[in-house]
Amino acid sequence: MKILSLFSRAHGFNDQLEQSRVRLYRVAYAWSHDAALADDLVQETLSKALKNHGQLREPEMLNSWLFGILTNCWRDHFRQQREMEDIEEIEDFRCVHETTPEDEHAQSQIVGRVRGAVARLALGQRQVLTLVDLEEFSYAEVAAILEIPVGTVMSRLCRARRALKEMLQELAPAQSAQVSHIRRVK
Amino acid sequence: MKRDDGVVSDEFLNAFVDDQLESAEKSHAFDAVGHDDTLKERVCELRGLKEMVKHAYAHPPTRVPAVKGRRSRASYLQALAACLLLCIGGASGWFAHVWTGMGSDREMARLLQSVQRNDIGGEPQKLIVHVSSSNPVRLKSALDETESLLDAYRRTKRPLQVEIIANGGGVDLLRADVSPYAKRIGMMQEKYPNLGFIACGQTIKKLREKGVDVQLLPHTGVASSALDQITRRLKQDWVYIKV
Repeated sequence: MKILSLFSRAHGFNDQLEQSRVRLYRVAYAWSHDAALADDLVQETLSKALKNHGQLREPEMLNSWLFGILTNCWRDHFRQQREMEDIEEIEDFRCVHETTPEDEHAQSQIVGRVRGAVARLALGQRQVLTLVDLEEFSYAEVAAILEIPVGTVMSRLCRARRALKEMLQELAPAQSAQVSHIRRVK
Repeated sequence: MKRDDGVVSDEFLNAFVDDQLESAEKSHAFDAVGHDDTLKERVCELRGLKEMVKHAYAHPPTRVPAVKGRRSRASYLQALAACLLLCIGGASGWFAHVWTGMGSDREMARLLQSVQRNDIGGEPQKLIVHVSSSNPVRLKSALDETESLLDAYRRTKRPLQVEIIANGGGVDLLRADVSPYAKRIGMMQEKYPNLGFIACGQTIKKLREKGVDVQLLPHTGVASSALDQITRRLKQDWVYIKV
């Protein structure tokens, strides 16, 4: 019976991991804006989670634990790329790519514009913003996932939203000047 | 909540929008926002941004179209191809056999026309030549016959489009390091812009899985699979010939 219950617990854990896949992918994509890379990161995260599931002490912390692993995988990815000497620079590293990840024609669409603007945020800000907005983690949880103080979470989030607001305004200048009212002409 | 200058900080408003305030702070914030239009506007802006980010990533693009779907589609296409090939095979099988032994382009054109009249009708303007064997004799005869046919059509100023599709062993014809006819194919491509070479993606994949480094000749197309390409062409009323 013990073995059976162990088996069913392991099976339940696998199910939970599988259910988290979509959420992990969404965030991984919002960080990288590269579907293939996001897919790889999620795959790596899940396989690490499976391997180390003994380390998860409180089952209700599963989500933040998983996103913590994702953060580590993301860091490892940068280490492998060796694009920079100092790993700390990652937090302030701006664009992953020179151009925005969306095709230019998609820029006219809201989704493309917002993704493009998020991609242009400094990585540290992008991570905080997406964890709070997409996954609705509390500031304390984000601090634990990214291993940074809560104050840093708040300031990064604040800077991220300010920058985002400016970028989206740049892309869509105030329309008030362009609005032409329809008048009836007899 | 307020800075020394009496302005509510952005950090505080963000925490309010993200529901991160203690209940006492939250009720203060609600009061303040209710009485101050500027604050209300800032809160609205932040909420709007939050919603936009959520919306932007509601359906992130996936790496590739679902593999299962692709497989079923491929097998559906294969089934369709098999049916079509069976239908055409009856009429053109004997012809293809004869064709490989043909020497005269005039006879070739005449035969082609007769096939056209019998099966599909109209001028034979589009032709697929399917090569699936690495036998050099077959490869040579495919090139010889195609060239003489292209030449005959050019001389009589009739339009003709030929696509040589290679799969299985036939892919050797188009592999840069293996093909015995690399130069000749290059010359033919230069001479006849209406001639195309397509390699089967599935065969290449299988070769690569075996560890073979597949380098194709320049200007060679790659179809998802030879069967897919042949089916597509048959649907577009191309004539099919297997060498």
